[in-house]
Amino acid sequence: MTATGRYRYLFRPLRIGPVTLANRVVFSAHLTNYAADGLPSEQHAAYYAARAAGGAGLIITEEHSTHPTDWPYEKLIHGFHPEVVPGYRRITDAVHAHGVPIFAQLNHNGGQASSMYSRLPVWAPSPVPDPMFREVPKAVTIAEIDEIVAGYATVAGHCRAGGFDGVELQCSHSSIVRGFLSPATNVRTDDYGGTLANRARLLLRLVDAVREAIGPDLALGVRLCGDELIEGGTTIDEAVEVARRVEATGKVDYINTSIGVATSTLYMIEASMSVPPGYAMFIPSAIRKAVELPVVGVGRFKDPVQADRALAEGHADLIGVVRGQIADADFVGKARAGHATDIRTCLSCNQECVGRMGLNRWLGCIENPRTGRESVPLPMPVRRGRRVVVVGGGPAGLQAAATAAERGHEVTLLERRQSTGGQVSVAASVPSRAEFLDVVRNSLAECRRHGVDVRTGLGATAGEVRALRPEVVVLATGARPQPPYWKGELDRVVDVRDVLEGRAAPEGDVVVVDDLGFHQATSVAELLADRGCTVRISTSGMVVGQDLGVTLDLETFNVRAAAKGITQTTDEVVLGATADGSTGGVRLQMLTHTTGSTTEVPCDWVVCATHQEPEDELWHELSGAAGFEVHRVGDCVAPRRAHAAVIEGHRVAAGI
Amino acid sequence: MKLTEPAELAGRTAPSRVLFGPHETNLGRGRALSDAHVAYYARRAAGGAGIVVTETASVHESDWPYERAPLAAECGPGWAGVLGACRPHGTLVLASLGHAGSQGSSAFSQRPLWAPSRVPDVASRELPMEMETAEIRAVVAGFTVAAELTVDTGLDGVEVDAGQHSLLRQFLSGLTNQRGDGYGGHGRTLLLREVLAAVRARIGAGRVLGLRLSCDELAPWAGVTPEHAAGIASDLAGAVDYLAVVRGSAMGTSATRPDSHTEPGFNLELCRQMRAAVDGAAAVALQGSVVDPGQAERALTDGAADLVEMTRAQIADPELVRKVRAGQAERVRPCTLTNQRCRVRDNRNPVVSCIGEPRSGHETTDPAPEDVAATAGTGTSRPVLVVGGGPAGLEAARVLALRGHRVRLVEREAELGGMLALAARLPGRARLGALAGWLAAEVHRLGVEVATGAEANLTGLAGEVIVATGSVPGPLPYTVHGDARVLDVADLLRAPGTPPEGPVTVYDPVGDAVGVGVAELLAAAGRATTIVTQDQVVGTQLALTGDLADANARLQRAGVRLAKRSVLRAVHPGHVLVTDAFTGTPTELDSATLVHCGHRLPDPAPVPGHARVAGDRVAPRTVHEAVLEGRRAALALVSAHRRSNSGEHSRATTGVAL
Repeated sequence: MTATGRYRYLFRPLRIGPVTLANRVVFSAHLTNYAADGLPSEQHAAYYAARAAGGAGLIITEEHSTHPTDWPYEKLIHGFHPEVVPGYRRITDAVHAHGVPIFAQLNHNGGQASSMYSRLPVWAPSPVPDPMFREVPKAVTIAEIDEIVAGYATVAGHCRAGGFDGVELQCSHSSIVRGFLSPATNVRTDDYGGTLANRARLLLRLVDAVREAIGPDLALGVRLCGDELIEGGTTIDEAVEVARRVEATGKVDYINTSIGVATSTLYMIEASMSVPPGYAMFIPSAIRKAVELPVVGVGRFKDPVQADRALAEGHADLIGVVRGQIADADFVGKARAGHATDIRTCLSCNQECVGRMGLNRWLGCIENPRTGRESVPLPMPVRRGRRVVVVGGGPAGLQAAATAAERGHEVTLLERRQSTGGQVSVAASVPSRAEFLDVVRNSLAECRRHGVDVRTGLGATAGEVRALRPEVVVLATGARPQPPYWKGELDRVVDVRDVLEGRAAPEGDVVVVDDLGFHQATSVAELLADRGCTVRISTSGMVVGQDLGVTLDLETFNVRAAAKGITQTTDEVVLGATADGSTGGVRLQMLTHTTGSTTEVPCDWVVCATHQEPEDELWHELSGAAGFEVHRVGDCVAPRRAHAAVIEGHRVAAGI
Repeated sequence: MKLTEPAELAGRTAPSRVLFGPHETNLGRGRALSDAHVAYYARRAAGGAGIVVTETASVHESDWPYERAPLAAECGPGWAGVLGACRPHGTLVLASLGHAGSQGSSAFSQRPLWAPSRVPDVASRELPMEMETAEIRAVVAGFTVAAELTVDTGLDGVEVDAGQHSLLRQFLSGLTNQRGDGYGGHGRTLLLREVLAAVRARIGAGRVLGLRLSCDELAPWAGVTPEHAAGIASDLAGAVDYLAVVRGSAMGTSATRPDSHTEPGFNLELCRQMRAAVDGAAAVALQGSVVDPGQAERALTDGAADLVEMTRAQIADPELVRKVRAGQAERVRPCTLTNQRCRVRDNRNPVVSCIGEPRSGHETTDPAPEDVAATAGTGTSRPVLVVGGGPAGLEAARVLALRGHRVRLVEREAELGGMLALAARLPGRARLGALAGWLAAEVHRLGVEVATGAEANLTGLAGEVIVATGSVPGPLPYTVHGDARVLDVADLLRAPGTPPEGPVTVYDPVGDAVGVGVAELLAAAGRATTIVTQDQVVGTQLALTGDLADANARLQRAGVRLAKRSVLRAVHPGHVLVTDAFTGTPTELDSATLVHCGHRLPDPAPVPGHARVAGDRVAPRTVHEAVLEGRRAALALVSAHRRSNSGEHSRATTGVAL
């Protein structure tokens, strides 16, 4: 069987209007924060070109704003400025060099914006404030609607001049068109409000105007939201009806889909690993039954087999794989070549892609240090074929070894445990976090592919490292739990790792003390609640698991926590702990730092999610050692999150 | 006035004793200073600032605390530009040099944070690496090289940052320095001393060396206390030309530049103490919400300080010193200390500005209303009617009058100020009233004919008119049963002395200063108060002003019940029904009255087609947008008038500046 023969549908070409796609994988529109001064950048071109080189069937760029009143985030592409055209041309030339078509997405975010950057009133169908931006918008007049329509036509013209093969109208999760379509945000009483025909009027006018601007040679797509997941919002039946009306114009070539509202139910748009893959498949499935146009389905597609199955089952004609191609630009090419297991599978951890977007930073990836840096060339190796010894097989060491070996060095990796993975393996041992393991599975596979000599079960001493006669040593020796000062001799005050690594098995009433604000505390709390414990999470911060908000895990965690009876207390610091002689448990002295009040909390066990200390003994022994370079990466520098480990491992190895 | 007298520092003369201190602006291009920086500083120099200290530049690439944080190595051209623009006014230009250490960010550098010890920052919770000798040497070298660059650029000197956001403070403090080597314990000041010596060696005695020092970390269990600081100040005074006395640490980031909930001039006694310790060896600068020229003058004459930093006051009015010098202190546009537009440490990179002076930070793009020459000699003035005496209408009337038009302003209520005057009745927000008062006084001074307690009849009105009639209460997104009592926040504030009886619930879907303030007001009046928010934290929008943590603590101390992640569903006589935002679980809360602090709607009364509208009448937002749009409406009217008088073709506008 040929490689593509493994997939019945994925590599079948498809015509959408005037454009033919070589395969069914779409790199759908998503924000990147790569724009500068409202213009597309060199990085945009390099980023999309890498996915084109990797074999994507179709690339759809991030949104291009159609009007000055639309500026919800700083690094938006201002498509309405004619100055964008050279940047468009740079992108389309770079992508076309690989024979891949590329569309531009046009949008006006409407009320899902603020005036922070535009210094203009926000425009929307009705003065209904957005749940996130919370700025009352101005209800647009008919003249202003005309101006919006003209803006789309202008930007469509720029896209045509810039060499795009088509345009897509984002009418789905953050758009003034969605605002008009949705009964939740459109309370107008004129020709643009009330009935569906009226609410869809702007969309249909835009289709007319944009088709006229682009002519017959470019494709035109419409992206619709199948379920806003908000009270009083659009649901699937109405979305299907809108799709029918779009098709009836005869001017549209495909329908793209999405779920949720970006400023309200974002956690279902860019769902993390806690939401099952394919969760939004009901939307393209329903629309495809109602229209003849090709339909794109999206929603946590992580591997080509899963995508092929969705096509085979008739849910969609095309599959949007965004995070999968952020993590591995060669997602499609590897599948086509029969090396699907070589794909650096996306974890859906949302830490460096979605998470960075929300914080106004450039798009990256926790496991792909090159994502977001495609336009910055790596330095040449100082000299190829150097003997490199990496100590430690967690994410930092594995990445360092993989990068060094890929760049032509002779690499030995020493891991003292029986298997690699380090703390990632521990973190992923909690059921809802299992996909996190992919970060080390992927880098271990790369180590193997590039010929790293991986030796496990070997705790390296300085002498043993020297005995390998290295030219370069990279220390990635990780970190160990550090008990809080108030633990004293209390056996029942343990670290999260003690629980996850099986050294402690708390029972009964458990207080999880969260100093970290991320998955550590919430994961162990869920695990212990599942085991029958009564769990309370206590934090000195204002919110338990505050950084879960950034990765869109907060909503789903809270729903699960409520179901598991996990309680949460905030603004608390532990002042001390004593043994409870009568129960064998612990009494915690807690200070509510906002009020100064103190309480004593009796419990059976205390589990601490606190900062660790570096295991940097080898560093102190070897740094400055004559004869070879010594570097350290990851937690043995300062215990942080996995991305810091990966990025440091890569950077140090790239500099060897 | 002593405030406007020159000051000598390192043989150089500052034309006044007023500092424009270093602060984050987000005006940078990449990590360099921009033309917008130059124009921003130049405007304060032209207005009489004695010393401008530019935005703190990182001395080493290991430090990238926020996206637009200047990097000293890239600041040469920008510093030269600022100097060139400020020197004609005699203002001294110093560069603030620093390193944020563990209070930085790894998001942009993608490298570990540097710190004296592995103590995570309170806000980011990120664990820094413990600096070894190589890193310490690199920081000292960074200060050295940056100081050299300031000399090459011709700047008047350097201010070294050991203030709130600084590695040097982290070395000084027992909160963050747990080292066992020569830089810890009794050697905590060693790094600062090395840095000051290195900088002085490069800039020489003829250039100004200032030190910004946190003299009270407000964490007496391990932090720098005023007593420690007095010792440090006394030891180091000979090494510097001035000491800027600040307070705060990572433990309480709002302490250094707090909003109006903290008394202006809160560092007076601390500064006096440091000045005594320094004993004349160096000048001492008072910092800390000093916004009133009278208070600044008293600090100088009472011997608390030799210089006064008035940063926010000069963001609000760049001409502060010039007006004081001219004996027109009452004409200084007051700083309201809301921090709403000038505190910009936020992921979104907002540009520094001011609620009352929206051109601040936008000097290169926005026309100056005071630039009367721009429209002088373009013919006779024209009568203009301004309807509404809130901030939008007042600003419109002010600008029109400045530009020579005959203005009549009609206000329905008995007093001017609109919602701004009402908001000033909230606890800790009284200074908003000063802005309303200033606008009213300027309007009167400029000869605007003001009619209060009067309705304007717009029907058939043909002349020029600006309508700024504000807002009306918005819809109630919950059901109200029977004779359950719902009170609009504006009605509550019209009679703040007589709050409703019984337990009160504050419905706050916005999360700004209003809901929090109303809850504080009710609790202070002895009412059992609950504040309902759909968010996980009360007052989420206060993160930008720095008041978020403080506001939540104040509410808790006042005994306000915080109903977080709660969606209000129904108001009944005696209770309200909320559901959990995540799980939908219903809860009933005792309540006799609900105070509605929701979003509002524009005044729906029709206006003539040719009228220009501004502020809440367009869409109810904050005072900043009201002032901005009132000003724009006035300037647009002035421009149209000028064009028609000069025979230019008048282009139709939609109100959108392309």
